[in-house]
Amino acid sequence: MHYKWKTGMWAFVMHRVTGLALTVYLIMHINVVSSLHDPGSFNKTMAFLGQPLFRVLELGLLAAVIYHGLNGVRVFLIDFCNRTKNHAAIFWILAATGSVIFIVGAYPLLHHAGIF
Amino acid sequence: MNTVFKIYRFDPESGRNPRYQYFEIDVTKGQTVLDALIEIKAHKDGSLVFRRSCRSGICGSCAMQINGLNKLACETQVEDLKSKTVTIDPLPGFKPIKDLAVDMEPFYDKLRAVLPYLINPDSPPTDKERIQSPEEFKMIELATSCILCGGCTSSCPSFWADKAYLGPAALVKAYRYVFDTRDRGYSDRSGVVNNKHGLWRCHTIMNCNDACPKHIFPTEGISLLKRKVVEEKY
Ligand code: FES
Repeated sequence: MHYKWKTGMWAFVMHRVTGLALTVYLIMHINVVSSLHDPGSFNKTMAFLGQPLFRVLELGLLAAVIYHGLNGVRVFLIDFCNRTKNHAAIFWILAATGSVIFIVGAYPLLHHAGIF
Repeated sequence: MNTVFKIYRFDPESGRNPRYQYFEIDVTKGQTVLDALIEIKAHKDGSLVFRRSCRSGICGSCAMQINGLNKLACETQVEDLKSKTVTIDPLPGFKPIKDLAVDMEPFYDKLRAVLPYLINPDSPPTDKERIQSPEEFKMIELATSCILCGGCTSSCPSFWADKAYLGPAALVKAYRYVFDTRDRGYSDRSGVVNNKHGLWRCHTIMNCNDACPKHIFPTEGISLLKRKVVEEKY
């Protein structure tokens, strides 16, 4: 089975992937937070999570949240506001919006890490 | 312009695996993919199997995958594809019978399932038609133009993953009757469309909207049906 991938297909697959990734993240997040019972373990975990690898993952988390949220708006517009015919245009408008939000959000993250 | 046609060949009786066969023909201006297939069958290989009837976008027999997208062969001019090699496959998601012909029976079963005819227990006014205003007809006009080519349902990833899914064509047909002001069959159809192999399998992937040769936009009809089902319930 092969079929040319168009905007709608990319939007759908990315929605699924980010949705799964966010679910996994949320489980890990709750798990880690619930294990922090005293200042000692808190500081240790925070130091561990301060490594560059987690900074990069944080950017990925930001991107996933923005994508999943904005594409949710797109699906809402399609299903509730009859915007089927404009689905591709909406995708690109939201992609531009999402990129701006990403830059605005990534700056303090990187600044805090001392990169900017 | 010389164009190579890369065509899916499959003959279950030969016992061989499906393969691609290449044919080169000189395409003239305005020649459609269907014209090219007819030329290949007439002059190069008479064993090539494909369906066609009206050769003018009415009967819906010639839907196939052309360069990775579902299209009607008779409405697609080779020139417009702007490619030196044109790849032709049978409609995906259906069982190939031979070469480009696929088994459409499951497709028709889905269509029958949504009761594709007027349901109205009240008899029509004597000597008159059931009246519908132009505005009321506008609501379903596009949906009535479906030629049942199967291009939309065959392009739908939800259908590939769930062969029990009604698919865009059958849902558009359901929409066409549910939103017909003369019809009273909503309660008969709602159970068929409102289940996990019905409306809710549509994940707005949008392939069907591009595939439809009549520009019906099945997703829009499906969305309106989704809302109707929710509104009726609450
Ligand atoms: S041959 Fe009838 S639609 Fe193409």
